[in-house]
Amino acid sequence: MKRKIVALLILAIAICSLPGAAAEKKLTVISGWSGPEMDAFMPVLKAFEKETGIKVDYQIYRAEDLAVLLPAQFNAKTTPGDVIYMWSWFIAKHAQDGHVLDITGKINEADFIPGSLDPVKLNNKLWGGVYTGKVKPGFWYRKSFFEKHGLSVPATWDEFVELCGKLKKISGVKAPIASGNGVGWPLSDITEHFIATYAGPDVTHGLINKKIKWTDPVVKSVFTERLAPLLKAGYFSEPIEWTMALDLWWRGDYGLFFMGSWITGMVDNPDDLGVFSLPGCKGIVFAPDYAFVPAYTKYPAEARQLLAFLATRGQEVQVATGGHIATYRVPLSAYPPVDRGVASLLKGTVALPDLDDTIGGEWQAAFWDQLKLLWVSPGRVDEVVDNLQRKAD
Amino acid sequence: MGQARGRALFFVPALALLAIFVVYPVINTVWLSFFTPEGEFALLKNYADVLSEPEMFDSRGFERGFPYGALIHNVIWIVLHLPLTVMLGLVFAVILRDVKGGAIVKSIVFLGMVTPMVVGGIILRFLFDGNVGIVPSVLALFGFTPRTLTAYPDTALFSLIAGSLWLWTPFSMVLYSAGLETIPDFVYEAAVIDGASPWRIFFNITVPLLRPVTGVVITMTFLWVLKIFDIVFVATMGGPGGASNVLALQMYMYAFRQFNPNAAAVVATFLMIVALVVSIPTFKAAGGEE
Repeated sequence: MKRKIVALLILAIAICSLPGAAAEKKLTVISGWSGPEMDAFMPVLKAFEKETGIKVDYQIYRAEDLAVLLPAQFNAKTTPGDVIYMWSWFIAKHAQDGHVLDITGKINEADFIPGSLDPVKLNNKLWGGVYTGKVKPGFWYRKSFFEKHGLSVPATWDEFVELCGKLKKISGVKAPIASGNGVGWPLSDITEHFIATYAGPDVTHGLINKKIKWTDPVVKSVFTERLAPLLKAGYFSEPIEWTMALDLWWRGDYGLFFMGSWITGMVDNPDDLGVFSLPGCKGIVFAPDYAFVPAYTKYPAEARQLLAFLATRGQEVQVATGGHIATYRVPLSAYPPVDRGVASLLKGTVALPDLDDTIGGEWQAAFWDQLKLLWVSPGRVDEVVDNLQRKAD
Repeated sequence: MGQARGRALFFVPALALLAIFVVYPVINTVWLSFFTPEGEFALLKNYADVLSEPEMFDSRGFERGFPYGALIHNVIWIVLHLPLTVMLGLVFAVILRDVKGGAIVKSIVFLGMVTPMVVGGIILRFLFDGNVGIVPSVLALFGFTPRTLTAYPDTALFSLIAGSLWLWTPFSMVLYSAGLETIPDFVYEAAVIDGASPWRIFFNITVPLLRPVTGVVITMTFLWVLKIFDIVFVATMGGPGGASNVLALQMYMYAFRQFNPNAAAVVATFLMIVALVVSIPTFKAAGGEE
C-alpha cells in the first residue's frame, strides 16, 4: 500500500513537472517608472494581458541600478526580467556581447519615426524595440503667472535675457529659472537645448559621433557666451531635486522650468501650462525609451511578442494617458489636447537624440557631474569644458 | 588524534565558505589588477594609470580648491572624521553615563547607527538643502545666505563628513559606554577621596583605562571611512565636479560606468592594502595584551 502511495505521489509530481502542466507563464517587465508614470504604464500591460492571456508582472528598477545589476546577472547567464527598459547604448553594447535577443522581423521598421530604431540596430539586426518618447521642448511657464506679471514669450535672445531680468525683479521669485537636479540629467537637458539652438543640430550629432570636440570654439562659445553669463547673473537657481523644483516653480518661487513633455502629467492643471523653446531653436531633443529581451529569458517567444506589442499597439494605449509622444504611427486623436500642442513644437525643427543618453557610459556621469559644478561655479567654465573633452577622449 | 580530526571537521564548512567567498575573490581581484581589459599582463601599469588620473589625485586642487581627487578626499575624511568620532563618542558616553534619562538620549543618538546608510544619504541631501534643509536654516540665523551645501564644491565634502558623524558617532558611543561599565567604581571613589578634579579623573583614569576600546573604535572607524560609499553615492554622487568623490565610488565608476574591472580591481587592491596596514597592528596589539 505504502509503495502504491509513493508511486502515485511520484507520478503526480512528474505530471506537474511537465511543461504544459506547469504554472502559467508569467513575464516580467522592468522599467524605472514609478508613481504616476507607473500608473500610466499599467494600462498598457493590462491591454497585453487581455489580448494574449499571458500574465505580466511589473518591477521598478532605475536605469542607474540596472547598469550595475544586469552585467553581473548576464555573466551568470540569468536575468531579472523578460523585457527590460534601458538606455539604448547599454542595449547595443550588451547585444555585441551576446546578452540580447535579436528581434529582427518582429516589428516593421517602416511604421516608426525614421531613425528612431537606429540606436538599437547593429550589423543589420534589430536588438531592441523603441517605445514612446519624450520631447524636451524648452522652458515651461504658467500662463496665469505670465498674465499676472505682464510677461510674454521671448522671440530673440535679447528678449530672453530681458525676460530673465524681469522675472528676477518680481517679489517672491527666488530665481528666474528653476534648475532641476536628479542624478544630473535635468541640467544636461538644458545644456543640450542650448547646444542644439546656438551651435546647431549638426554639432549635437558631431558631439555624439565624436567628430566634434567639446573644446571646439563653436561648442565652447555656447558655454562661455550663453550659459555661463546667465548663471553668473543668477538667472538659474542652484540645482534643486527636480520634483521639488517642479513644486516650487508651480507655486511661483521660480518663473521658468526646463523639463520634458512628461511634465504635462505631473501638474494640477495642464491647461495652465505654456512652453517655449530658446529663440532660434533649430533642433529639439526627442528621447524615446528603449526596451530589449535578454538572451536568458525563459520565454523567448512570449517576451518577443510582448516587446513587439509594447512597441506598436502599446504606444497607442500609452499616449492616451498623457505626457508621451509615439514613435509608432499613432493617430493624433489618440493624444490628449495638451500633448498635441507639444508634438506641434517639433514641426520645423530637427528631432535630435538625447545626447548624454546616446553616448552613455562614464562620460554621461561625468557630463552630469561637471554641469553641477558649472551651475554653482560658472567661473570654472573652461575647466568644465576641458574635463568633458578629456572624458570623451 | 581521532578526536582532533573530528574537531577539525567542524571547521571545514566555515573554511570552505571563507575560501569561496573571501579568499578566492581577494586573490582574483589582485590578479585582475595586473591585467589590461584585453587580458594582457601589465604588471603595475594599471596602478600607474589609475593613480595618475585626476579623479584619484588632482594637484590642481591645491591652487583652485576642490576637487583634489578621491585619494585626498578620503584622507580629509579620515583626518576630520576619525578624531571627531572618537571624541564625540567618548564625550556622549561619559556625560550620559550617570545622567537621569541618559538611556533615552543614548537611544536617540543611536538612531543614526540603525539608519541604513542609503536612507542616511537621502536624509543628508535634504538636511543640507537650501530650500527645506535644517542646516542652512540654522546657519541663516547667524547671517549666512541659505544655500544647498552639498551642491557647492567648497562645502560638499565637509557636509558629507558632518553627516557621517551623525551616522557613525553612535558606534563609538556604544563601545565607550560598554567600556565605561568595565571600569570598577572603587577606582573613581579612590580618586575622589584623594581630591582629584573631574577633569583629572577623566584624563588620568577614564581615558587611559579605555585605551583598548579606543583602539577598536579607531580601527573600525578608519575602515568604515576607507570604504565609505553609500552616503556619497546617494547624497552627491561624488559631485559637484568630483568635489566629494571617494575611492569606493571611483571603484564603482570604473566597474559599472567604464565597465573596466581591471581599473576597479586596482582601487580595490589599494583599499585592501591600506586596510591591512591599519588593522594588522591593531590585531597584533590585541593579541599581545591577551
